[in-house]
Amino acid sequence: MTDTVDIRIPARSPRHRSERRFRLYGMAAIAVSLGFLALMVGSIVLRGTGAFQQAFVNIEINLPANKIDPDGTGDPLVIKKSRFGSLVKKAMRERFPEAKSRKEKRQLYKLISATAEYGVRDTVVANPKLVGTRASLWVRASSDVDMFLKGNISAEVAEDQRRVSDLQLGWIKDLHDKGQIEKRFNTQFFTSGDSREPEQAGILGAIIGSALTLLVCFLFSFPTGVLSAVYLEEFAHKGRINRIIEVNINNLAAVPSIVFGLLGLAIFLNVFGFPRSTPLVGGMVLALMTLPTIIIASRASLRAVPPSIREAAFGLGASKVQTTFHHVVPLAMPGMLTGSIIGMAQALGETAPLLMIGMVAFIVDLPGGVTEAATALPVQIFLWADSPERGFLEKTSAAIFVLLIFLVLMNLIAIVLRRRLETRW
Amino acid sequence: MFRTNKLVLAAGAAAASFSLSTFSADARNQINIVGSSTVFPFATSVAERFGKNTDFKTPVVESTGSGGGLKLFCGGIGTNTPDITNASRRIKVSEVELCGKNGVKDIVEVKVGYDGIVLSNSRASDVMKLSRKDIFTALAKDVPIDGKLVANPYKTWNEVNSALPNVKIEVLGPPPTSGTRDAFVELAMEGGCKKYDMIAALKKSDKETYKAICHTIREDGAFVEAGENDNLIVQKLEANPAAFGIFGYSFLDQNSDKVQGSEIEGNLPTFENIAEGAYPVSRSLYFYVKKAHVGVVPGIEEFLAEFTSEDAVGEDGYLAEKGLIPMTEDEAEAVKSAVANLTPLSM
Amino acid sequence: MACMLDPSIPKQSIVSDPTSIAITRTSNKDRITDLLVRAILILCALIAVATTIGIVASLLLESLRFFQKISIFDFLFGLEWSPQTALRADQVGASGAFGAIPLIVGTLLISAIAMAIATPLGLMSAVYLAEYASKRSRNFIKPLLELLAGIPTVVYGFFAALIVAPMLRNGGDQLGFEIASESALAAGLTMGVMIIPLVSSLSDDVINAVPQSLRDASYGLGATQAETIKQVILPAAIPGIAGSLLLATSRAIGETMIVVMAAGLAAKLTLNPLEAVTTVTVQIVTLLTGDQEFDSAKTLSAFALGLLLFLITLCLNVIALRIVDKYKEQYD
Repeated sequence: MTDTVDIRIPARSPRHRSERRFRLYGMAAIAVSLGFLALMVGSIVLRGTGAFQQAFVNIEINLPANKIDPDGTGDPLVIKKSRFGSLVKKAMRERFPEAKSRKEKRQLYKLISATAEYGVRDTVVANPKLVGTRASLWVRASSDVDMFLKGNISAEVAEDQRRVSDLQLGWIKDLHDKGQIEKRFNTQFFTSGDSREPEQAGILGAIIGSALTLLVCFLFSFPTGVLSAVYLEEFAHKGRINRIIEVNINNLAAVPSIVFGLLGLAIFLNVFGFPRSTPLVGGMVLALMTLPTIIIASRASLRAVPPSIREAAFGLGASKVQTTFHHVVPLAMPGMLTGSIIGMAQALGETAPLLMIGMVAFIVDLPGGVTEAATALPVQIFLWADSPERGFLEKTSAAIFVLLIFLVLMNLIAIVLRRRLETRW
Repeated sequence: MFRTNKLVLAAGAAAASFSLSTFSADARNQINIVGSSTVFPFATSVAERFGKNTDFKTPVVESTGSGGGLKLFCGGIGTNTPDITNASRRIKVSEVELCGKNGVKDIVEVKVGYDGIVLSNSRASDVMKLSRKDIFTALAKDVPIDGKLVANPYKTWNEVNSALPNVKIEVLGPPPTSGTRDAFVELAMEGGCKKYDMIAALKKSDKETYKAICHTIREDGAFVEAGENDNLIVQKLEANPAAFGIFGYSFLDQNSDKVQGSEIEGNLPTFENIAEGAYPVSRSLYFYVKKAHVGVVPGIEEFLAEFTSEDAVGEDGYLAEKGLIPMTEDEAEAVKSAVANLTPLSM
Repeated sequence: MACMLDPSIPKQSIVSDPTSIAITRTSNKDRITDLLVRAILILCALIAVATTIGIVASLLLESLRFFQKISIFDFLFGLEWSPQTALRADQVGASGAFGAIPLIVGTLLISAIAMAIATPLGLMSAVYLAEYASKRSRNFIKPLLELLAGIPTVVYGFFAALIVAPMLRNGGDQLGFEIASESALAAGLTMGVMIIPLVSSLSDDVINAVPQSLRDASYGLGATQAETIKQVILPAAIPGIAGSLLLATSRAIGETMIVVMAAGLAAKLTLNPLEAVTTVTVQIVTLLTGDQEFDSAKTLSAFALGLLLFLITLCLNVIALRIVDKYKEQYD
């Protein structure tokens, strides 16, 4: 028997410690990265959840028939035409008669949203029987009051440095004690377009704008991307031109997105004269940007189709075109779709090129088509992030929240698609 | 061939949508507004209400600066040019000429109200007490020292005027496309410039040089062009207590919890001071309408009626709440009747 | 087959077998379809090339118009950036200074900070994932890291302006530093985090490409895992890692939204990361949003900056892709 030599390193040796330290560095690096992710998503979600609620104030409002519908028609169109602003203001004065001076009255009116009258109007239009009665209605509180109730404005700060005055605080307290102010789920955030008033602003317009933009982007980039990939993989001879196209696509994939915006501005807007600020132009710019992603993914999935499939098709007398489009492309389709969805997800989050082509205008109406002015979700985030009103802060976070949900959904669809459809060869 | 057909179809649909777009650009049923960032908050408020009060579509408002807006506006007649442009100064003769050259003959001028230009800083700092002369001395490219014009040597405010604090001169202001810039240059800079006897003497002898001296802002980094986005300036001021920003009174009013206006010649920029004319740096706000588009793009007349209504520009109107300083009743009546008749501008 | 191309010979006369007739007919129809399909395919593949040409042409043409007004020398080597020019004839504006150096320095400063964050974190993450992590934890951690890459940059920008910058500022106040709210540090830090997954996934590929035989040889000599990584794997992977870092740098240079929202506007020539600087992309956005006057030197300068940006990133990419290709060939 020969003695065995123990070549293991003693547990306490410096080499062993250095090994453990190195391993720890690796774990720390991952922990820091993921920690940052958690901090970012966490803080944004935390701030954003507030926007899903909105404060409402209960007011007793006189709805005199002679002002709203003098002829007693009961016609919603007539009611819609009349102005409710002064009625709402009157209701507020009746509720707090102590507001006497012009300045005090202005403060009083600022308790409720400047758009509260439209809420009242819509209620009356929906229920014309209210005309001529005294109704108890809930109207949107102003953003400042809303922020105060959510604890974003502190009453501790000196009066001239906060947007809610002491007088207003007293009124809010009175409303609160009588149960005439409460927070409710803010459906309007999901059903309306942008607004100057934070309490009124919604993201549906931006969502529709993004959807239209992505539709154009997909219609343009998916067929071109897939067909380019088919050409490069199946038809092209490995020659010089092919090599140039390949290098070109790889480099295009790394061009900064803002450069695509400059391209859109110079070519689509200034040369072709396409309408500014529209999903059509936005979609085309994003399509050019996502094209390399789709081509690269499509080529990979074409390459994954084994040659035996092609050989079998040729053997049965199919032509090159038949082989490719009847057999190879269908088999590669799941991979191509997955790649395209991931490309679309990138396009959905892209902001900079859209700024260049004027998709940053103030747009209230929901866009009705690809040639109407629109913004996109990330641009709306950028616009709100730049707005001075504090109420937009939580709207920004909430919009980010919604955007992230869409992104996660798209990626999930891509993963599921890959798992369910992809054949392993 | 099934798959190919689908692909070809999709490509065809994409191609069809392109060609369609070029046609539909001609028929617009939405008012298109460009122009001043100072008038932007007022125009958007009116636009939003107009959209809610009527069956017309809500106008699209883009903030391009008064000069940029007028340039677009004067680009020609037709629905690919804007219908209305906002301006925080009156249209210039040169711009009316440009308009005329491109076929934009009849322009309706609508006065909206008044606005003060404020020089503000963060609430974290003290209120500055300035004169227009201080402003000129701090921001002009060339200043007179010992009877000679030299490149502006001042780095801190107390070098300009020993009564001012020892803070670096750092002012964020609008670019030349902005009406705020024009008005600031004409009212504050020129107003201060005249206080130097040597330059005031030039006014009679050499008007060109006089203007060049008074209107040229320094470029050595003390004055930073901050783009057309006044909101952005407010944010940057909050971030940097040493910096000052130049913008309209309405932005000060909206952000009174973050920034404060500087006193100019003893007057703080307040609603009352500007309305009474005590605050020296104030101007009128306008917008301009292309008469040729009235009746072509639906809703323009109704929009004008909304913008000039008592509800909007009256003393208790919703624009006053946004920081607009209203006209007197007589003035408002005159504007209203001129607008109702679509009286074209004559200069 | 050649005779079939000759139209003078009736097809039926060549072949008598009915099955061959069928084949002949389809192959003739195929020939046309084939040509048509090929044409469509080539057209599609050329769109990518056309895009590149479009980018270069539009940037170049507008830049040339810019260089007619401002000399290219002043643009490339000027130390002052202050693009104020008069708009109307009767307006006295400033002459405007279009020196790109402060912008380039600002861009590089922020990118350098980003890379200083992303390189160690990304590289160590990659090493851990490739060499230490169990298959299960790898399958869990990798997608999470990729999530970091999938978050839109406007979100990073918002986060940088809202949370990172004030945090740094307050931290600086307590330590007695003065940190500007729009410091290069805040933008750079956030951008660094955004780039971590890019560095880690590229390096991961590179490390995995190092042949197992090298590891086995090192272990056989009694080296620990850390020693193997530090002395064998990383040196072997260095060219590939360098390539990935260059790609990441190019991404940092072209990044727009983070700097638009978190970096400054004033072009200051400084290397101090605590001060506010501005970048090429910030200036492009500031110059082109709102202001639409299309023939002024000011608007055109945005295209010159775009061209500069395009060329810088293109060079970095070409070099990086070459290095990575060479490296991969080495071990294939």
